[in-house]
Amino acid sequence: MVFFYMQPVIRVTDLWKYYGDDEQGEPALRGTSLEVAAGDIVALFGKSGSGKTTLLNLLAGLDRPTRGRIEIEGQDFETLGERGRTEFRRNRLGFVFQFFNLLPTLTAFENVSLSLELAGRPDPALARTTLASVGLEGKESRYPHELSGGEQQRVAIARALVKKPSIILADEPTGNLDTHTGTQILDLLVNQCRHAQTTLIMVSHAMITCRYARRILEMVDGVVTEDRSCEAPGP
Amino acid sequence: MKIVTKAFLRYLFRRRSLSVLQLLGIACGVAAVIGMGLSARSALSSFNKAIEFLRGSSTHLIERPAGPIDEKMLAQLMQDPSVDFFAPVIDRRVRLTDGEAIHVLGIDPFLDRDIRPEISRAYFAEMGRSEREDHFSFFTDERSVLIDSNLAAQLKLGPGSRLETSQGVFTVINTFKNPSGEPLILMDIRNAQKMFDLKGSIDRVDLIVNDEAAFRSRWEKGFRIESKRQRQETLTALLYAFKLNLQALSLLALFVGTFLIYNTAMFAVVSRRRDAGVLRSLGARRIEIVAAFMTEIFFFGILGGALGAVFGYILSRFLTEIVGSAISTLYFFLKPSPQPWSLLTLAAGIAFGCIASLLGSVAPLIELILTEPVKAIRGRVAYRGGKRKAGKIALIGLGILCAAAIFLLFSFYHVYIGYAGTFVFLLGVSLFTGFTIMFVAPALKWVFSRIGGIQGKLAVANVRKNMGRTAVAIAAFMVALSMSIGLGSMIESFRHSLIWWMNSQLKGELYVSTKGDADVPEDFYEEVKRVPGIGGVDTYRNVQVTFRGAPVYITAINASILQRFTRFGWVSGGNENWEPVKQGSVIVSESFSRRFNIKKGDTVTVEGIEGAVQFPVTAIFYDYTTEHGLIMMDRSTYIRHFQDRTINSLGVFVDPRYPERDKVIAEVKKRAQDRNLPTATRSELHNTILSVFDNTFAVTRSMRVLAIIVAFFGIAGALMTLFVERRREFGIYRALGFSVRQIAGMTLFEGIGMGLVSFIMSIGVGTALALILIKVINLRSFNWTIFYHFTFDPYLLAGITAIAASIGASLYPIWKVYRTYPQIQIREE
Repeated sequence: MVFFYMQPVIRVTDLWKYYGDDEQGEPALRGTSLEVAAGDIVALFGKSGSGKTTLLNLLAGLDRPTRGRIEIEGQDFETLGERGRTEFRRNRLGFVFQFFNLLPTLTAFENVSLSLELAGRPDPALARTTLASVGLEGKESRYPHELSGGEQQRVAIARALVKKPSIILADEPTGNLDTHTGTQILDLLVNQCRHAQTTLIMVSHAMITCRYARRILEMVDGVVTEDRSCEAPGP
Repeated sequence: MKIVTKAFLRYLFRRRSLSVLQLLGIACGVAAVIGMGLSARSALSSFNKAIEFLRGSSTHLIERPAGPIDEKMLAQLMQDPSVDFFAPVIDRRVRLTDGEAIHVLGIDPFLDRDIRPEISRAYFAEMGRSEREDHFSFFTDERSVLIDSNLAAQLKLGPGSRLETSQGVFTVINTFKNPSGEPLILMDIRNAQKMFDLKGSIDRVDLIVNDEAAFRSRWEKGFRIESKRQRQETLTALLYAFKLNLQALSLLALFVGTFLIYNTAMFAVVSRRRDAGVLRSLGARRIEIVAAFMTEIFFFGILGGALGAVFGYILSRFLTEIVGSAISTLYFFLKPSPQPWSLLTLAAGIAFGCIASLLGSVAPLIELILTEPVKAIRGRVAYRGGKRKAGKIALIGLGILCAAAIFLLFSFYHVYIGYAGTFVFLLGVSLFTGFTIMFVAPALKWVFSRIGGIQGKLAVANVRKNMGRTAVAIAAFMVALSMSIGLGSMIESFRHSLIWWMNSQLKGELYVSTKGDADVPEDFYEEVKRVPGIGGVDTYRNVQVTFRGAPVYITAINASILQRFTRFGWVSGGNENWEPVKQGSVIVSESFSRRFNIKKGDTVTVEGIEGAVQFPVTAIFYDYTTEHGLIMMDRSTYIRHFQDRTINSLGVFVDPRYPERDKVIAEVKKRAQDRNLPTATRSELHNTILSVFDNTFAVTRSMRVLAIIVAFFGIAGALMTLFVERRREFGIYRALGFSVRQIAGMTLFEGIGMGLVSFIMSIGVGTALALILIKVINLRSFNWTIFYHFTFDPYLLAGITAIAASIGASLYPIWKVYRTYPQIQIREE
C-alpha cells in the first residue's frame, strides 16, 4: 500500500469546531485528527450531525475552526490567510455538493468554464471536453433547471475536475440522486479522480460508496475514526 | 465579460418582473429629485430672466419709499448730470376674465428706447408699418396695447383682437417677443396713468446712472434708490423661504429615493447571497464578487437613473406650473417656462441613480463580504439572533435620534441644521423598524391568524423571519407615510391657525377691492363712510419697504376701527395695544419680530419721505400674510411720513346696532360696482385666502403623492423578492396541503402586514415629524407660529394608503403565485 508511505496531502490535528459566538454548547468537532495521502480515495461515513460536513467545510477553507490545525500540502491553512485559502480553492481544490449548487443563470458549459476562468486558465475546449467526459456532450448550452438531478451533479463534477485539482471534496454527492444515478455518479467521480491521481474525500451515507473508497473513515460525535468494516454507517 | 459578472447580470433577465419593479423604484426615486430640482430651477431662472428683461439695461431705479411719485420730478432728473438715460414706468397688474393676473407696463416708448430696447423696438416696428392707417394709435387710443407673443398665442390673439380685463377691454395693436416667459402687456404711460387713476404720478423711474454716489447724494432724501444688483437681491430675498421650501422638498424626495434605491441594492445583494457562497467555494475572490455586484448595481443605477431623468423631466413640466402658480399667488407674478431637455438632465439622473445605488449597496455588501462562505452558501436561513440584532440596531437608532435632537436644538443657527435634524430623525426612527416588527408581531399574528387562519399566521412569521428583506421596505414605506402624516398634519394645523387668524383679524362684513389690481379712490372711502348704518371703514394700504437691507411690508390701517371691530391675535396684551398706535407707534408681526429680533418697546427705523423715521414698537401680533415681516401703523401716521394716500382696499364694518345690516352691505356693494371695484364678503374673502393657501401647498401635496408612489415600489419590490426567493418553500407548502389560494392569501397577508407595521410606526413618527415641521422648520423658515391642531384626516389617509398600497403591491406576486403554482414546485432552480 504505497500511499501509506507518501507525504500526507491533508493533515488535521486536534480540530475543534463550535458554532456560535462562544465555546458553549456541543461542539461539532471534538479535537479530531486525520491524515490523508495524496491520490487517496476516502469515504467518510457518519450519522447526521456527526460533524462530517463541518469537517469538509473546514478542509475547503469555507469555514474556520475554533481550535486545531489544518495542513494542506504541507501548508498551515491558518497562516495561508483568507487570500491564500481562496487561491487554494481556486487552483487546488474541487468541491462537489449534495444539492449541486450550480449557478442557475449559467449554462452547463459556463458553469464548468467558470472554474477555469477563476483559475486564470480560460479554456473553452477543455470545458467542452470535460463536459463530454462526464457524458453531457450536446447539453452544454442547457441551464441547470433544464437538466435532471443526475445531469446537474455531472456538471458539478465536471466543474470540480476541469481545473485538475489535487483534492476533491464531495459532500454527499449521491445524496440527492436515485441509486442507479448515484452509482453512475460515483463511477464517474472515482474513475476520474483515479485517472488524474486526485485525492478524493467523499462524505456519504450510502453504503455503496464503500465499494469505491480505498480508505473508509467514520465520524462519531465529532471525531474521525478508521473503519475498515464499512458496516457501521447509518442514516 | 467575466462569467461571474455574467451570472449575476442574467438574473436581471430571468427575474424580469422583479428587475422591472426595482428599475421603476429607482426611476421614481430619481424622478422625484430631478422633477423637483428642475421645476425649482425653472422658477428661479424664469424669475431672473423676467427681472433682466423688465429692467433692461437700467442700472438703477428710483421710487418713493411707499406709493407713487409725482411726475414733476422727471424734469429735475433730466437736469441731473449723473443720469444718462431715464424712463418713467407705471408697473401694475390687470386680471383676465379667467382670473389670471397679467403684468401691465406703462412706458414712454421714446424714453424707453435706451433702457429696454427690445420693448421699444416692438413699438417702433409697429409704428413703421406702412399699411397701418393710424401710426400713433398706441398714443391716441387709450385702450391700445402691445402684448407679448406667448400670451398672444395662448389667448389666440393677433393685431386688432380685443382683450377683456378687469380694467376694461384692450385693443391689441401688435405683439412683441418676450424671452422672460412672464406674460406682459405694454401701453403708453399716459394711457396707463389714466386707466389706473394715477394722473400726474408714476410708479418709478428706471435709470442709467454714470455716477452713483453723486446721484445718491442728490436724491436720497424722500426716495429709495436701488441698484440693479440690490433689486435682484431684494426680489431673491422675497423668494428665500419659498426656495428653502422647494429645497426641503427636493431633499425629502432625495431621502425617500435613496431609501428605495438602498432597498433595491440590498435586494440584489441578499438574493445573490447563496450564489456568492458557491462562487467563494469555487475560489472566487471577494473582490470579484463585489465587482459582479457592483456591475449589477451600476446597471440598475444607470438604467434606472436614465429612466428617472426622463420621468423627472416629464414631472418637472407639471411641477413647474404648480411652483409658478404658488410663487405668483404669494410673491409676484411668475410664469416659469419648463427647463428644456438636456443631456445634463440625463447625466444628473444617471449620476444620482449610481451614487444612491452605490451608497445603498455599501452596507449590504460589507455584510456579505464579512460573511463566511459556508454561511453564505446556506442561502436563506432562519435567523435566530433577529431579536438581539434588532435591539442593537434600535440602540444605534436611539443614538442617531439623540444626534437629531441636538441638530434640532441648534436649528436657530440656520434652518439647514433643522433640515439635517429632520433627516437624521427619519434615519434614526427607521432603525427602529426591526424592533417594531419584533414588538408588534405577536399582536399581528393573533389578529391575522383569526382573520386568515394558518396563512395569516405564517405571513406574520415570514415578515418577522425575513427582516433582512422586509425591514428596509417597511422603513421606506414608513418614512413615506410619516411624510404624508407629518406634512398633512402641518398643513391642517397651518390651515386652522390661518382660520383662527382670519376670524380674529378679518372681521369686516364687506371688503372692497381685495384683488390688488385696482386701488380704492379716496373719495369712495369718504362716500362709504357716509352710508347710513356703517359702523366704521378700515383703509388698507400695503407697501414693500426696506428694513435693514431686507424687504418688509408696511401696512397702514385705521387703528381705532380695528380696535373697535377686531380682536387681533396678540403675542401679549389685548386691544389696548391699539391706543399707542393711534398716537404714532407701530405694531409688528411675529415674523418681523423674530426675523429682526425686535421686541415690544424697541424702535424700528424706516426711510420716510423726509428721511429716516423712528417708530416705537408697542406690540407684536400673530400674522400669516407675509413671512418677511410687517410693520402696521395708523393711516394718519403713514400719510404723515410717506405722503402716500393710496388705499388698496377697504374693510367695511356695519354698526352692530343698525337693524338692516344686509341693506347696508348691498348698498356698499352697489356703489363699489358703479366704480368698477370688486367686492367680497367676509366669507368670500376667507374662502379666497384659503384657496390661496391650498394652492400654495400644491407642490407639497404632489411630493406627498410621489413619496407614496416611490414607497409603493419599495413594498412591491420586497414582496416580489420574498416571492422569488421562496419559490421552493411555496412548493413545500403545496406539498403539505396548502392550496394555491392559501399561498396567494399568505402573500397578501404579508403585504398587508408590512403595510400595517409601516402605518403603526408612521402614526408616531408622522406626529413627531409634524411637530418638527411646525415647531422647528416652519418657525425657522417663515418666522411664524403655527399652532398644532390634531386632525384625524392625515392618519386616515395614511392608513388607507398603507392598506391600499400594500394590497396593490401584493397583486403582482399573487398573480405570479396563481400562474406559477398550479403544480408543486420544490425543485431547485
